[in-house]
Amino acid sequence: MWPWLLLTPGLLWLLGLYVLPLLGLVPLSLSEPLSRFGLDTVFRGRVANYTEVLQAYGPILVRSFSFATIATAAGLVLAYPLAFAIRFRGGRWQPLLIGLVVLPSLSSFLVRAIAWTSLLGDNGPVLALVQSLGLTDGLNGLGVLRDGRLLNTPAAVIIGLTNNLLPFLVLPLVVAMQRIDPRLLEAAADLHAGPLRSFARVVWPLSLPGLGAGLLLSLIPAAGDVVNPRFLGGPNDRMIANAIENLLLVQLQAPRAAALTLVLMALITVAVVLQLRGRGLQELPLP
Amino acid sequence: MKEIRPHPRGRRSFLRRLALGAGAAALGPALLQACGRGPGGREGADGGGAGGGELVISNFPLYIDVNAPGAPGSVSRFQKDTGIRVRYVEDVNDVRQFFARLQPQLAAGRPLAQDLIVLTGWMAGRLIRLGWVEPLPLAEVPNARYLVPSLRKPSWDPEQRYSLPWQSGIAGIAYNIKATGRELRGVEDLFDPALKGRVSALLEMRDTMGLLMLANGQDITRPTWAAAQPSFKRLEQARKDGQIRRFTGNDYQNDLLAGNLAACIGWSGDVAQLAMEKPDLRFLVPDSGGVLWADVMLMPKGTRHRQEVARWLNWVYEPVEAARIAAAVQYISPVEGVREVLAKDPATAPLAANPLMFPDAAMQKKLHVFGPLSDQEEARWEERFAQITDG
Repeated sequence: MWPWLLLTPGLLWLLGLYVLPLLGLVPLSLSEPLSRFGLDTVFRGRVANYTEVLQAYGPILVRSFSFATIATAAGLVLAYPLAFAIRFRGGRWQPLLIGLVVLPSLSSFLVRAIAWTSLLGDNGPVLALVQSLGLTDGLNGLGVLRDGRLLNTPAAVIIGLTNNLLPFLVLPLVVAMQRIDPRLLEAAADLHAGPLRSFARVVWPLSLPGLGAGLLLSLIPAAGDVVNPRFLGGPNDRMIANAIENLLLVQLQAPRAAALTLVLMALITVAVVLQLRGRGLQELPLP
Repeated sequence: MKEIRPHPRGRRSFLRRLALGAGAAALGPALLQACGRGPGGREGADGGGAGGGELVISNFPLYIDVNAPGAPGSVSRFQKDTGIRVRYVEDVNDVRQFFARLQPQLAAGRPLAQDLIVLTGWMAGRLIRLGWVEPLPLAEVPNARYLVPSLRKPSWDPEQRYSLPWQSGIAGIAYNIKATGRELRGVEDLFDPALKGRVSALLEMRDTMGLLMLANGQDITRPTWAAAQPSFKRLEQARKDGQIRRFTGNDYQNDLLAGNLAACIGWSGDVAQLAMEKPDLRFLVPDSGGVLWADVMLMPKGTRHRQEVARWLNWVYEPVEAARIAAAVQYISPVEGVREVLAKDPATAPLAANPLMFPDAAMQKKLHVFGPLSDQEEARWEERFAQITDG
């Protein structure tokens, strides 16, 4: 009995501020605006809202999830060595290193996106480096640069997203790796496993719970990001949250905005369920 | 008469540091603090503090003269002269989003915190049609007689009861001659493949579409859906081709300064101000025509400070005061006599000769006001335009 009572505040919070508003989106998504300039709506059971937004914004949905996936993959490439180094080579600097990983998150993500615009700009340091290394043509060919530009391209959006989600990948991985007994690595070395092999056979399988948590924490916010595409992307790199924002605040089409929001949440829920299947929540070392 | 001079734009530099400052992450806490001042956070406006007695004004950013050492800004001087406390808030960025924010309160008939809001003409028309604004106390604003004739009885407020212009200006083409390598001639230049990916257009539909339609030989004072189609198609194609780098609000200014843009659709006063810092910047009103707009002051329903609003309106329509604001923002002042005031002072005399601030006959012939759209038409236009800007 008592444990349930203790849960009440949290449950009430969730119910009142999350579940109920979310449920409210369902009738809203089937409504029509009452007037051109009002956010007031009338319920009409209008399923066409869904087909219309899927038709109009299907490609942007696909783009949003591809950007999020690529950013997460890039994040993993950065996060694994980082987490490994913090866990096994950090020593007494470990808390400081973890602090450094979290530090950028202490500034507003808006400020970070704007900071990236100056780093990635046409006259910014990143392009200057690329040019001095003679990589411009190669990166143009790979589609990373567009006509020698980086800012306002898909690559810039993905860089911004990766930057935002990095701590959410590193921290669960560090936590998961804390559970790895360093003697296992020594044993692997004794058995003539090289670094790559001991990573593949020891670190990787034992860090999977952390990976699962990291994916959950990074993929979801990345898919719904609004700031990075706005500041770092061009008009061909908009993500789904930009479309929802425009529908609601510019076109004043609250029902269609709600429909698109629910579509996005449904897709994310599917991703989460797939993620959790076969792996219980208990195993997730959430930070 | 006190000296009037172009304003050293302290706040602008602050914004630029914010936008361009590399290594902003390292500055995190300081920047957060700066940003965290919130909507009321205007340097030198002496606002702050809750209280019933203050006049609350919402306006676009960087749209008034601010305090400088030894030269108090308009808000400070108004407060000192009248004893009326003012909270001057620069929270109007995108008028459409501003509308969406205020809409629930206005529709429910609840008064806003603001006593006076500045919105662009077509949006003012929407609020007037919806009955969400009150007639201005013009009987108590004798200086309203200085309103220039060309801005009297505009299409959005045919009887001039609800609105009084704050500033007006021109949407045209801004470019950096170093980046383009040549002078630009007109709208066609925005589509020059040599400038691919270094061109931006405005999110303000009437400005972007207006310029394109004028270049296409259409009459924008009576805009029709059919007449707009070629321009919509052209814009969409340019976006898909990567010709257009971004659609922007005020933020095109940072991109121009940072060298990310060679040319863009922009607003006359902004570019005039920026050119003082970066002389390579030019502003062009194409021969095919530029879009003339006006931002106007409106009093939302339920204002509690009618008298204070009247004092403010009268104050900013006093030609000397209006000249200070005009010298700082370099848009077209709606107040007669400003030009004479500016011409008298050697420091500001060049401004008085600037056709972008005081359009001569040749300039006036090129300027057109985007005509009204019916509610249904507007919905259709907005949807199509959104497909292009946020598709």
